[in-house]
Amino acid sequence: MKVIELLVSRRDNWRELEMLCQQWDAPLAQRPGAERVTRFAYLYRAACADLALADAYHLPPATVEYLHQLVGRAHNQMYRGRGFDFAAWLPEMLGALPRRLLHDNSLRLAFVIFWGMFIATGLLAYFSPAVADRVLGKDMVTGMEHMYDKPIEGRDADESTAMAGFYTYNNPGIGLQCFAYGLLLGIGGLFITISNAAILGAVFGHMAAVPQSANFFHFVTAHGPFELSAVVLASGAGMRLGFSIVDTHGWRRGASLRRAARDAVPSICASIVLFALAALIEAFVSPSALPYWSKAAVAIVSTLLMLFFLLALGHSRRTDLATG
Amino acid sequence: MTYSRSPLDTRIEIVTPENIAFQYRVAGPFTRLPAYLIDLTLRIVGVLLVGLVGVFGFGVAGVPGMGFGLLAVVGFVTEWFYGGLFEALWNGQTPGKRLLRLRVLTAEGQPINAWQAVLRNFLRGVDALPWMCYQVGLISAASNDRFQRLGDLAAGTMVVIEQRALRVEVVGIQQREALELAAQLPPGLIVSRSLARALSAYVTRRQTFSWRRRIEIALHLAEPLRLSLGLPPQTDPDQLLCAVYHHAFIADRLSEPPPLRRQPEQLVVA
Repeated sequence: MKVIELLVSRRDNWRELEMLCQQWDAPLAQRPGAERVTRFAYLYRAACADLALADAYHLPPATVEYLHQLVGRAHNQMYRGRGFDFAAWLPEMLGALPRRLLHDNSLRLAFVIFWGMFIATGLLAYFSPAVADRVLGKDMVTGMEHMYDKPIEGRDADESTAMAGFYTYNNPGIGLQCFAYGLLLGIGGLFITISNAAILGAVFGHMAAVPQSANFFHFVTAHGPFELSAVVLASGAGMRLGFSIVDTHGWRRGASLRRAARDAVPSICASIVLFALAALIEAFVSPSALPYWSKAAVAIVSTLLMLFFLLALGHSRRTDLATG
Repeated sequence: MTYSRSPLDTRIEIVTPENIAFQYRVAGPFTRLPAYLIDLTLRIVGVLLVGLVGVFGFGVAGVPGMGFGLLAVVGFVTEWFYGGLFEALWNGQTPGKRLLRLRVLTAEGQPINAWQAVLRNFLRGVDALPWMCYQVGLISAASNDRFQRLGDLAAGTMVVIEQRALRVEVVGIQQREALELAAQLPPGLIVSRSLARALSAYVTRRQTFSWRRRIEIALHLAEPLRLSLGLPPQTDPDQLLCAVYHHAFIADRLSEPPPLRRQPEQLVVA
Protein backbone atom coordinates (compact mmCIF):
# COMPACT_ATOMS: atom_id res chain seq x y z
CA MET A 1 0.00 0.00 0.00
CA LYS A 2 1.22 3.49 -0.72
CA VAL A 3 1.96 5.65 2.29
CA ILE A 4 -0.58 8.16 1.11
CA GLU A 5 -3.29 5.52 0.74
CA LEU A 6 -2.48 4.25 4.20
CA LEU A 7 -2.80 7.75 5.61
CA VAL A 8 -6.11 8.33 3.87
CA SER A 9 -7.53 5.05 5.13
CA ARG A 10 -6.48 5.74 8.72
CA ARG A 11 -7.22 9.43 8.88
CA ASP A 12 -10.94 9.09 9.55
CA ASN A 13 -10.26 6.73 12.47
CA TRP A 14 -7.78 9.15 13.99
CA ARG A 15 -10.13 12.08 13.57
CA GLU A 16 -12.96 10.13 15.18
CA LEU A 17 -10.76 9.18 18.12
CA GLU A 18 -9.71 12.79 18.48
CA MET A 19 -13.34 13.90 18.50
CA LEU A 20 -14.24 11.35 21.18
CA CYS A 21 -11.32 12.49 23.34
CA GLN A 22 -12.44 16.07 22.99
CA GLN A 23 -16.07 15.28 23.83
CA TRP A 24 -15.25 13.26 26.93
CA ASP A 25 -12.72 15.76 28.17
CA ALA A 26 -15.35 18.52 28.39
CA PRO A 27 -15.93 19.53 32.03
CA LEU A 28 -19.59 18.53 32.17
CA ALA A 29 -19.45 15.59 29.76
CA GLN A 30 -22.01 12.84 30.27
CA ARG A 31 -20.90 9.31 30.85
CA PRO A 32 -20.65 7.67 27.44
CA GLY A 33 -22.74 4.60 26.70
CA ALA A 34 -21.32 1.10 26.35
CA GLU A 35 -21.46 1.23 22.55
CA ARG A 36 -19.32 4.37 22.34
CA VAL A 37 -16.86 3.03 24.90
CA THR A 38 -16.39 -0.08 22.80
CA ARG A 39 -15.91 2.05 19.71
CA PHE A 40 -13.41 4.22 21.60
CA ALA A 41 -11.46 1.16 22.74
CA TYR A 42 -11.36 -0.14 19.17
CA LEU A 43 -10.12 3.17 17.80
CA TYR A 44 -7.58 3.50 20.59
CA ARG A 45 -6.14 0.05 19.95
CA ALA A 46 -6.02 0.78 16.22
CA ALA A 47 -4.13 4.03 16.84
CA CYS A 48 -1.73 2.17 19.15
CA ALA A 49 -1.07 -0.38 16.42
CA ASP A 50 -0.51 2.39 13.86
CA LEU A 51 1.98 4.05 16.15
CA ALA A 52 3.78 0.78 16.80
CA LEU A 53 4.14 0.20 13.05
CA ALA A 54 4.74 3.86 12.14
CA ASP A 55 8.38 3.23 11.45
CA ALA A 56 7.69 0.19 9.32
CA TYR A 57 4.96 2.04 7.40
CA HIS A 58 7.39 4.91 6.65
CA LEU A 59 4.95 7.41 8.12
CA PRO A 60 6.25 11.00 7.92
CA PRO A 61 7.70 12.39 11.19
CA ALA A 62 4.89 14.94 11.56
CA THR A 63 2.36 12.09 11.46
CA VAL A 64 4.34 10.07 13.99
CA GLU A 65 4.41 13.13 16.24
CA TYR A 66 0.65 13.48 15.80
CA LEU A 67 0.14 9.82 16.68
CA HIS A 68 2.20 10.18 19.86
CA GLN A 69 -0.06 13.06 20.90
CA LEU A 70 -3.23 11.24 19.92
CA VAL A 71 -2.37 8.03 21.73
CA GLY A 72 -1.33 10.08 24.77
CA ARG A 73 -4.65 11.92 24.84
CA ALA A 74 -6.68 8.77 24.32
CA HIS A 75 -4.67 7.04 27.03
CA ASN A 76 -5.57 9.83 29.47
CA GLN A 77 -9.27 9.39 28.67
CA MET A 78 -9.10 5.59 28.78
CA TYR A 79 -7.50 5.47 32.24
CA ARG A 80 -8.85 8.73 33.55
CA GLY A 81 -8.60 9.86 37.18
CA ARG A 82 -11.43 8.76 39.42
CA GLY A 83 -12.00 12.03 41.29
CA PHE A 84 -12.80 11.86 44.98
CA ASP A 85 -13.62 8.38 46.20
CA PHE A 86 -15.31 9.34 49.46
CA ALA A 87 -16.27 5.77 50.28
CA ALA A 88 -12.58 4.92 50.55
CA TRP A 89 -11.73 8.02 52.57
CA LEU A 90 -13.91 7.23 55.58
CA PRO A 91 -12.16 3.99 56.62
CA GLU A 92 -8.87 5.73 55.87
CA MET A 93 -9.64 8.67 58.19
CA LEU A 94 -11.25 6.64 61.01
CA GLY A 95 -9.24 3.42 60.73
CA ALA A 96 -5.84 3.66 59.16
CA LEU A 97 -5.12 7.23 60.25
CA PRO A 98 -5.42 6.83 64.06
CA ARG A 99 -3.55 3.52 63.88
CA ARG A 100 -0.72 5.25 62.07
CA LEU A 101 -0.69 8.33 64.30
CA LEU A 102 -0.50 6.24 67.48
CA HIS A 103 2.83 4.79 66.34
CA ASP A 104 4.11 7.86 64.50
CA ASN A 105 7.53 8.93 65.78
CA SER A 106 7.32 12.25 63.92
CA LEU A 107 4.09 13.12 65.72
CA ARG A 108 5.67 12.21 69.07
CA LEU A 109 8.66 14.40 68.27
CA ALA A 110 6.44 17.31 67.18
CA PHE A 111 4.39 16.86 70.38
CA VAL A 112 7.45 16.89 72.65
CA ILE A 113 9.11 19.81 70.86
CA PHE A 114 5.94 21.89 70.72
CA TRP A 115 4.85 21.39 74.31
CA GLY A 116 8.43 21.49 75.66
CA MET A 117 9.07 24.82 73.97
CA PHE A 118 5.59 26.09 74.88
CA ILE A 119 6.01 25.31 78.58
CA ALA A 120 9.61 26.57 78.71
CA THR A 121 8.78 29.93 77.09
CA GLY A 122 5.57 30.14 79.12
CA LEU A 123 7.45 29.77 82.42
CA LEU A 124 10.10 32.28 81.35
CA ALA A 125 7.49 34.80 80.24
CA TYR A 126 5.49 34.28 83.44
CA PHE A 127 8.40 35.13 85.69
CA SER A 128 10.05 37.81 83.56
CA PRO A 129 8.03 40.40 81.59
CA ALA A 130 11.09 41.14 79.43
CA VAL A 131 10.84 37.72 77.75
CA ALA A 132 7.43 38.43 76.24
CA ASP A 133 8.68 41.79 74.98
CA ARG A 134 11.68 40.11 73.34
CA VAL A 135 9.70 37.26 71.75
CA LEU A 136 6.54 39.09 70.71
CA GLY A 137 7.61 42.73 70.47
CA LYS A 138 6.44 45.60 72.64
CA ASP A 139 3.50 46.59 70.39
CA MET A 140 1.96 43.15 70.30
CA VAL A 141 2.21 42.79 74.09
CA THR A 142 0.44 46.08 74.79
CA GLY A 143 -2.11 45.33 72.06
CA MET A 144 -2.88 41.98 73.63
CA GLU A 145 -3.20 43.40 77.14
CA HIS A 146 -5.55 46.02 75.78
CA MET A 147 -7.62 43.36 73.98
CA TYR A 148 -8.45 41.55 77.25
CA ASP A 149 -9.07 44.68 79.34
CA LYS A 150 -12.81 44.16 79.30
CA PRO A 151 -14.45 40.99 80.63
CA ILE A 152 -15.86 38.56 78.03
CA GLU A 153 -19.55 39.36 77.77
CA GLY A 154 -20.55 37.99 74.42
CA ARG A 155 -21.00 39.57 71.03
CA ASP A 156 -23.79 39.40 68.51
CA ALA A 157 -24.23 36.43 66.21
CA ASP A 158 -23.43 38.38 63.05
CA GLU A 159 -20.00 39.45 64.26
CA SER A 160 -19.35 35.88 65.39
CA THR A 161 -20.10 34.60 61.90
CA ALA A 162 -17.61 37.05 60.45
CA MET A 163 -14.97 35.93 62.95
CA ALA A 164 -15.69 32.25 62.24
CA GLY A 165 -14.85 32.95 58.60
CA PHE A 166 -11.71 34.82 59.54
CA TYR A 167 -10.45 32.03 61.81
CA THR A 168 -11.22 29.44 59.13
CA TYR A 169 -9.18 31.45 56.65
CA ASN A 170 -6.27 32.25 58.92
CA ASN A 171 -5.58 29.27 61.17
CA PRO A 172 -5.49 26.28 58.79
CA GLY A 173 -3.21 28.43 56.61
CA ILE A 174 -0.67 28.46 59.44
CA GLY A 175 -1.07 24.70 59.86
CA LEU A 176 -0.58 24.06 56.14
CA GLN A 177 2.50 26.27 56.24
CA CYS A 178 3.91 24.13 59.10
CA PHE A 179 3.20 21.06 56.98
CA ALA A 180 4.79 22.38 53.77
CA TYR A 181 7.92 23.69 55.49
CA GLY A 182 8.46 20.25 56.98
CA LEU A 183 9.47 19.15 53.50
CA LEU A 184 12.74 21.09 53.86
CA LEU A 185 14.53 18.02 55.31
CA GLY A 186 12.54 18.41 58.53
CA ILE A 187 14.62 21.44 59.50
CA GLY A 188 12.02 23.87 58.17
CA GLY A 189 9.36 21.98 60.13
CA LEU A 190 11.45 22.04 63.33
CA PHE A 191 12.07 25.75 62.91
CA ILE A 192 8.45 26.68 62.37
CA THR A 193 7.21 24.40 65.17
CA ILE A 194 9.70 25.88 67.63
CA SER A 195 8.88 29.45 66.62
CA ASN A 196 5.11 28.88 66.84
CA ALA A 197 5.51 27.20 70.24
CA ALA A 198 7.71 30.03 71.52
CA ILE A 199 5.24 32.70 70.40
CA LEU A 200 2.22 30.89 71.86
CA GLY A 201 4.14 30.04 75.06
CA ALA A 202 5.15 33.66 75.52
CA VAL A 203 1.56 34.79 75.02
CA PHE A 204 0.17 32.32 77.56
CA GLY A 205 2.98 32.91 80.11
CA HIS A 206 2.74 36.67 79.89
CA MET A 207 -1.04 36.84 79.97
CA ALA A 208 -1.12 34.53 83.01
CA ALA A 209 0.99 37.04 84.92
CA VAL A 210 -0.88 40.25 84.09
CA PRO A 211 -4.18 41.42 85.69
CA GLN A 212 -6.15 40.58 82.56
CA SER A 213 -5.39 36.86 82.97
CA ALA A 214 -8.94 35.90 84.00
CA ASN A 215 -10.39 37.44 80.83
CA PHE A 216 -7.67 35.86 78.69
CA PHE A 217 -8.26 32.32 79.93
CA HIS A 218 -12.00 32.87 79.76
CA PHE A 219 -11.50 33.39 76.03
CA VAL A 220 -8.87 30.81 75.05
CA THR A 221 -9.85 27.78 77.16
CA ALA A 222 -12.68 26.45 75.02
CA HIS A 223 -10.93 26.29 71.63
CA GLY A 224 -7.36 25.79 72.92
CA PRO A 225 -7.21 21.96 72.82
CA PHE A 226 -8.42 21.63 69.21
CA GLU A 227 -6.30 24.48 67.90
CA LEU A 228 -3.01 23.55 69.60
CA SER A 229 -3.46 19.85 68.73
CA ALA A 230 -4.11 20.82 65.11
CA VAL A 231 -0.80 22.73 65.01
CA VAL A 232 1.05 19.75 66.51
CA LEU A 233 -0.62 17.36 64.05
CA ALA A 234 0.28 19.53 61.05
CA SER A 235 3.88 19.93 62.21
CA GLY A 236 4.19 16.21 62.79
CA ALA A 237 2.88 15.45 59.29
CA GLY A 238 5.37 17.92 57.82
CA MET A 239 8.29 16.45 59.76
CA ARG A 240 7.32 13.01 58.57
CA LEU A 241 7.83 14.24 55.01
CA GLY A 242 11.15 15.89 55.79
CA PHE A 243 12.64 13.02 57.79
CA SER A 244 11.61 10.47 55.16
CA ILE A 245 14.19 12.07 52.85
CA VAL A 246 16.92 11.76 55.49
CA ASP A 247 16.10 8.32 56.94
CA THR A 248 14.86 6.29 54.02
CA HIS A 249 14.50 2.83 55.65
CA GLY A 250 16.42 1.41 52.72
CA TRP A 251 14.27 2.94 50.01
CA ARG A 252 15.47 5.38 47.42
CA ARG A 253 15.02 8.95 48.61
CA GLY A 254 12.30 9.82 46.08
CA ALA A 255 10.33 6.63 46.77
CA SER A 256 10.69 7.12 50.52
CA LEU A 257 9.35 10.66 50.21
CA ARG A 258 6.39 9.51 48.12
CA ARG A 259 5.50 6.79 50.65
CA ALA A 260 5.60 9.25 53.52
CA ALA A 261 3.64 11.83 51.53
CA ARG A 262 0.87 9.33 50.83
CA ASP A 263 0.49 8.78 54.58
CA ALA A 264 0.78 12.47 55.43
CA VAL A 265 -2.28 13.54 53.42
CA PRO A 266 -4.89 12.06 55.84
CA SER A 267 -2.96 13.60 58.76
CA ILE A 268 -3.04 17.07 57.28
CA CYS A 269 -6.71 16.67 56.36
CA ALA A 270 -7.48 15.71 59.98
CA SER A 271 -5.53 18.76 61.08
CA ILE A 272 -7.68 20.99 58.85
CA VAL A 273 -10.82 19.44 60.35
CA LEU A 274 -9.52 20.21 63.85
CA PHE A 275 -8.74 23.79 62.80
CA ALA A 276 -12.26 24.19 61.42
CA LEU A 277 -13.80 22.86 64.67
CA ALA A 278 -11.56 25.19 66.66
CA ALA A 279 -12.62 28.13 64.46
CA LEU A 280 -16.30 27.42 65.14
CA ILE A 281 -15.73 27.18 68.89
CA GLU A 282 -13.50 30.25 68.87
CA ALA A 283 -16.12 32.28 67.07
CA PHE A 284 -19.29 31.18 68.82
CA VAL A 285 -18.39 29.72 72.24
CA SER A 286 -15.21 31.50 73.35
CA PRO A 287 -16.46 35.11 73.16
CA SER A 288 -19.88 34.29 74.64
CA ALA A 289 -20.87 35.25 78.20
CA LEU A 290 -21.22 31.60 79.29
CA PRO A 291 -19.72 30.86 82.72
CA TYR A 292 -16.12 29.64 82.84
CA TRP A 293 -16.99 26.09 83.88
CA SER A 294 -18.97 25.53 80.66
CA LYS A 295 -15.99 26.60 78.58
CA ALA A 296 -13.74 24.31 80.59
CA ALA A 297 -16.25 21.53 79.89
CA VAL A 298 -15.96 22.18 76.13
CA ALA A 299 -12.17 21.93 76.46
CA ILE A 300 -12.38 18.67 78.40
CA VAL A 301 -14.88 17.11 76.00
CA SER A 302 -12.78 18.07 72.99
CA THR A 303 -9.65 16.64 74.61
CA LEU A 304 -11.48 13.40 75.42
CA LEU A 305 -12.76 13.19 71.83
CA MET A 306 -9.23 13.46 70.46
CA LEU A 307 -7.93 10.90 72.95
CA PHE A 308 -10.72 8.55 71.93
CA PHE A 309 -9.81 9.03 68.27
CA LEU A 310 -6.13 8.38 68.87
CA LEU A 311 -6.22 5.66 71.53
CA ALA A 312 -9.49 3.78 71.02
CA LEU A 313 -9.58 3.88 67.24
CA GLY A 314 -5.81 3.67 66.93
CA HIS A 315 -5.32 0.74 69.27
CA SER A 316 -5.60 -2.19 66.97
CA ARG A 317 -3.50 -5.22 66.23
CA ARG A 318 -3.32 -4.36 62.58
CA THR A 319 -0.36 -2.20 61.72
CA ASP A 320 -0.17 -0.70 58.26
CA LEU A 321 2.74 1.61 58.84
CA ALA A 322 4.60 2.77 55.80
CA THR A 323 7.34 4.60 57.67
CA GLY A 324 8.35 4.24 61.29
CA MET B 1 30.26 5.24 33.10
CA THR B 2 27.15 4.45 31.13
CA TYR B 3 25.26 6.92 29.03
CA SER B 4 21.55 6.85 28.38
CA ARG B 5 20.76 6.23 24.73
CA SER B 6 17.68 8.42 24.84
CA PRO B 7 18.23 11.93 23.50
CA LEU B 8 18.63 14.87 25.86
CA ASP B 9 15.12 16.21 25.43
CA THR B 10 11.90 17.17 27.22
CA ARG B 11 10.21 13.97 26.05
CA ILE B 12 9.27 11.19 28.42
CA GLU B 13 8.49 7.76 27.04
CA ILE B 14 5.55 5.91 28.55
CA VAL B 15 4.88 2.20 28.05
CA THR B 16 1.14 1.50 28.37
CA PRO B 17 -0.74 -1.69 29.25
CA GLU B 18 -1.35 -2.07 25.50
CA ASN B 19 2.42 -2.59 25.27
CA ILE B 20 2.89 0.47 23.16
CA ALA B 21 5.48 3.14 23.88
CA PHE B 22 4.48 6.72 23.25
CA GLN B 23 6.04 10.01 24.17
CA TYR B 24 4.86 13.00 26.20
CA ARG B 25 6.38 16.44 26.17
CA VAL B 26 7.02 17.53 29.73
CA ALA B 27 6.00 21.11 30.52
CA GLY B 28 8.79 23.27 31.94
CA PRO B 29 8.46 26.05 34.51
CA PHE B 30 7.95 28.77 31.92
CA THR B 31 5.19 26.84 30.14
CA ARG B 32 3.45 26.39 33.45
CA LEU B 33 3.82 29.99 34.61
CA PRO B 34 1.09 31.42 32.29
CA ALA B 35 -1.32 28.68 33.39
CA TYR B 36 -0.54 29.54 37.00
CA LEU B 37 -1.17 33.24 36.31
CA ILE B 38 -4.53 32.46 34.66
CA ASP B 39 -5.55 30.35 37.66
CA LEU B 40 -4.40 33.09 40.03
CA THR B 41 -6.47 35.67 38.15
CA LEU B 42 -9.54 33.42 38.17
CA ARG B 43 -9.14 32.84 41.91
CA ILE B 44 -8.84 36.54 42.65
CA VAL B 45 -11.80 37.42 40.41
CA GLY B 46 -13.89 34.65 42.00
CA VAL B 47 -13.12 35.77 45.53
CA LEU B 48 -13.81 39.41 44.61
CA LEU B 49 -17.16 38.48 43.05
CA VAL B 50 -18.21 36.44 46.09
CA GLY B 51 -17.01 39.29 48.28
CA LEU B 52 -18.99 41.93 46.39
CA VAL B 53 -22.17 39.87 46.18
CA GLY B 54 -21.84 38.50 49.72
CA VAL B 55 -20.97 41.66 51.56
CA PHE B 56 -23.50 43.82 49.70
CA GLY B 57 -26.22 41.17 49.73
CA PHE B 58 -25.90 40.36 53.41
CA GLY B 59 -25.24 44.03 54.16
CA VAL B 60 -28.59 44.98 52.66
CA ALA B 61 -30.17 42.18 54.68
CA GLY B 62 -28.66 43.72 57.81
CA VAL B 63 -26.09 41.00 58.55
CA PRO B 64 -22.80 42.21 56.98
CA GLY B 65 -20.80 39.86 59.19
CA MET B 66 -22.34 36.86 57.41
CA GLY B 67 -21.06 38.18 54.09
CA PHE B 68 -17.59 38.70 55.50
CA GLY B 69 -17.55 35.22 57.01
CA LEU B 70 -18.63 33.70 53.69
CA LEU B 71 -15.91 35.67 51.88
CA ALA B 72 -13.23 34.43 54.29
CA VAL B 73 -14.32 30.79 53.96
CA VAL B 74 -14.42 31.06 50.15
CA GLY B 75 -10.98 32.70 50.31
CA PHE B 76 -9.63 29.79 52.34
CA VAL B 77 -11.11 27.15 50.04
CA THR B 78 -9.85 28.82 46.83
CA GLU B 79 -6.40 29.42 48.28
CA TRP B 80 -5.75 25.86 49.39
CA PHE B 81 -8.17 23.62 47.48
CA TYR B 82 -8.59 25.28 44.07
CA GLY B 83 -5.84 23.26 42.38
CA GLY B 84 -6.52 20.06 44.28
CA LEU B 85 -10.25 20.03 43.57
CA PHE B 86 -9.95 20.86 39.88
CA GLU B 87 -7.08 18.48 39.23
CA ALA B 88 -8.94 15.66 40.97
CA LEU B 89 -12.28 16.27 39.23
CA TRP B 90 -11.04 17.39 35.80
CA ASN B 91 -8.58 14.54 35.27
CA GLY B 92 -5.46 16.54 36.11
CA GLN B 93 -6.41 19.96 34.76
CA THR B 94 -7.24 23.33 36.28
CA PRO B 95 -8.96 25.97 34.09
CA GLY B 96 -5.58 27.57 33.38
CA LYS B 97 -3.97 24.25 32.49
CA ARG B 98 -6.97 23.41 30.33
CA LEU B 99 -6.67 26.62 28.35
CA LEU B 100 -2.97 26.04 27.76
CA ARG B 101 -3.37 22.30 27.15
CA LEU B 102 -1.36 21.11 30.13
CA ARG B 103 -2.23 18.11 32.24
CA VAL B 104 -0.93 16.67 35.48
CA LEU B 105 -0.06 12.98 35.30
CA THR B 106 1.83 10.66 37.59
CA ALA B 107 5.56 10.39 36.91
CA GLU B 108 4.77 7.06 35.17
CA GLY B 109 2.25 8.73 32.84
CA GLN B 110 -0.93 7.47 34.48
CA PRO B 111 -3.83 9.73 35.53
CA ILE B 112 -3.48 11.14 39.04
CA ASN B 113 -5.77 10.32 41.94
CA ALA B 114 -7.34 12.71 44.42
CA TRP B 115 -4.71 12.55 47.15
CA GLN B 116 -1.94 13.31 44.68
CA ALA B 117 -3.88 16.32 43.38
CA VAL B 118 -4.50 17.62 46.90
CA LEU B 119 -0.95 16.99 48.10
CA ARG B 120 0.88 18.67 45.24
CA ASN B 121 -1.17 21.80 45.86
CA PHE B 122 -0.78 21.75 49.65
CA LEU B 123 2.98 21.74 49.19
CA ARG B 124 2.86 24.74 46.85
CA GLY B 125 3.72 26.92 49.87
CA VAL B 126 7.25 25.57 50.11
CA ASP B 127 7.85 25.73 46.33
CA ALA B 128 6.72 29.35 46.35
CA LEU B 129 9.55 30.32 48.73
CA PRO B 130 10.87 32.93 49.05
CA TRP B 131 7.97 35.42 49.06
CA MET B 132 5.90 33.75 46.30
CA CYS B 133 8.83 33.93 43.85
CA TYR B 134 8.92 30.13 43.30
CA GLN B 135 12.72 29.95 43.50
CA VAL B 136 12.68 26.67 45.46
CA GLY B 137 10.31 25.17 42.89
CA LEU B 138 12.46 26.46 40.04
CA ILE B 139 15.64 24.93 41.49
CA SER B 140 13.83 21.65 42.12
CA ALA B 141 12.39 21.62 38.57
CA ALA B 142 15.81 22.36 37.09
CA SER B 143 17.44 19.43 38.84
CA ASN B 144 15.34 16.56 37.49
CA ASP B 145 14.33 15.43 34.02
CA ARG B 146 10.57 15.87 34.48
CA PHE B 147 10.57 19.48 35.75
CA GLN B 148 9.04 18.37 39.03
CA ARG B 149 8.79 20.95 41.79
CA LEU B 150 8.98 19.69 45.38
CA GLY B 151 5.21 19.17 45.52
CA ASP B 152 5.42 17.10 42.34
CA LEU B 153 8.28 15.03 43.74
CA ALA B 154 6.38 14.26 46.94
CA ALA B 155 3.15 13.41 45.11
CA GLY B 156 4.95 11.57 42.28
CA THR B 157 3.43 13.72 39.54
CA MET B 158 4.55 15.68 36.48
CA VAL B 159 2.94 18.17 34.09
CA VAL B 160 2.80 17.33 30.36
CA ILE B 161 1.80 19.25 27.26
CA GLU B 162 -1.14 17.86 25.30
CA GLN B 163 -1.05 19.39 21.85
CA ARG B 164 -3.88 19.56 19.40
CA ALA B 165 -3.88 18.18 15.89
CA LEU B 166 -0.72 18.62 13.90
CA ARG B 167 -0.48 18.27 10.13
CA VAL B 168 -1.08 14.70 9.09
CA GLU B 169 -1.01 14.90 5.32
CA VAL B 170 1.80 14.05 3.00
CA VAL B 171 3.08 17.07 1.09
CA GLY B 172 2.03 16.77 -2.54
CA ILE B 173 4.71 17.35 -5.15
CA GLN B 174 3.52 19.53 -8.04
CA GLN B 175 6.71 20.64 -9.82
CA ARG B 176 6.95 19.06 -13.26
CA GLU B 177 10.74 18.57 -13.08
CA ALA B 178 10.43 16.62 -9.85
CA LEU B 179 7.64 14.42 -11.23
CA GLU B 180 9.61 13.76 -14.40
CA LEU B 181 12.65 12.94 -12.32
CA ALA B 182 10.58 10.62 -10.14
CA ALA B 183 9.48 8.72 -13.25
CA GLN B 184 13.13 8.12 -14.13
CA LEU B 185 13.95 6.59 -10.75
CA PRO B 186 14.45 2.81 -10.79
CA PRO B 187 11.14 1.19 -9.76
CA GLY B 188 12.83 -1.12 -7.26
CA LEU B 189 14.44 1.72 -5.30
CA ILE B 190 13.93 0.99 -1.61
CA VAL B 191 14.16 4.00 0.64
CA SER B 192 15.54 3.21 4.08
CA ARG B 193 13.78 4.48 7.21
CA SER B 194 16.38 7.07 8.09
CA LEU B 195 16.39 8.38 4.51
CA ALA B 196 12.60 8.57 4.58
CA ARG B 197 12.74 10.58 7.78
CA ALA B 198 15.32 12.96 6.35
CA LEU B 199 13.38 13.42 3.09
CA SER B 200 10.15 14.10 4.92
CA ALA B 201 11.82 16.62 7.26
CA TYR B 202 13.32 18.39 4.25
CA VAL B 203 10.25 18.47 1.99
CA THR B 204 7.84 19.63 4.69
CA ARG B 205 10.11 22.57 5.46
CA ARG B 206 11.58 23.49 2.09
CA GLN B 207 8.77 25.95 1.31
CA THR B 208 10.11 28.31 3.95
CA PHE B 209 13.65 28.41 2.49
CA SER B 210 15.00 30.59 -0.29
CA TRP B 211 16.20 28.94 -3.48
CA ARG B 212 19.90 29.24 -2.55
CA ARG B 213 19.30 27.86 0.95
CA ARG B 214 17.42 24.87 -0.50
CA ILE B 215 20.35 24.01 -2.75
CA GLU B 216 22.80 24.40 0.10
CA ILE B 217 20.86 22.07 2.41
CA ALA B 218 19.74 19.56 -0.23
CA LEU B 219 23.21 19.09 -1.66
CA HIS B 220 24.46 17.07 1.33
CA LEU B 221 21.91 14.34 0.67
CA ALA B 222 21.32 14.84 -3.06
CA GLU B 223 24.93 14.43 -4.11
CA PRO B 224 25.46 10.86 -2.79
CA LEU B 225 21.95 9.98 -4.02
CA ARG B 226 22.72 11.29 -7.51
CA LEU B 227 25.97 9.34 -7.65
CA SER B 228 24.42 6.07 -6.54
CA LEU B 229 21.49 6.50 -8.95
CA GLY B 230 23.81 7.43 -11.81
CA LEU B 231 22.00 10.67 -12.70
CA PRO B 232 23.70 13.47 -14.68
CA PRO B 233 25.62 16.10 -12.67
CA GLN B 234 23.33 18.99 -13.68
CA THR B 235 20.37 17.45 -11.76
CA ASP B 236 18.81 20.01 -9.43
CA PRO B 237 19.47 18.74 -5.84
CA ASP B 238 16.21 20.22 -4.53
CA GLN B 239 14.15 18.58 -7.29
CA LEU B 240 15.97 15.29 -6.81
CA LEU B 241 15.01 15.13 -3.13
CA CYS B 242 11.41 15.99 -4.04
CA ALA B 243 11.41 13.22 -6.62
CA VAL B 244 12.72 10.59 -4.20
CA TYR B 245 10.20 11.83 -1.63
CA HIS B 246 7.39 11.45 -4.18
CA HIS B 247 8.63 7.96 -4.95
CA ALA B 248 8.85 6.97 -1.29
CA PHE B 249 5.66 8.47 0.10
CA ILE B 250 3.22 8.82 -2.76
CA ALA B 251 4.16 6.51 -5.63
CA ASP B 252 5.97 3.71 -3.87
CA ARG B 253 4.05 0.55 -3.20
CA LEU B 254 5.02 -1.16 0.04
CA SER B 255 3.90 -4.54 -1.27
CA GLU B 256 5.16 -6.34 1.79
CA PRO B 257 5.92 -4.93 5.22
CA PRO B 258 9.62 -4.26 5.63
CA PRO B 259 11.55 -6.60 7.94
CA LEU B 260 11.30 -5.61 11.59
CA ARG B 261 15.00 -5.87 12.37
CA ARG B 262 16.93 -2.66 12.26
CA GLN B 263 18.11 -1.78 8.79
CA PRO B 264 21.59 -0.42 8.12
CA GLU B 265 21.54 3.34 8.17
CA GLN B 266 22.43 3.81 4.55
CA LEU B 267 20.80 4.03 1.18
CA VAL B 268 19.78 0.68 -0.20
CA VAL B 269 19.59 0.48 -3.95
CA ALA B 270 18.18 -2.74 -5.23
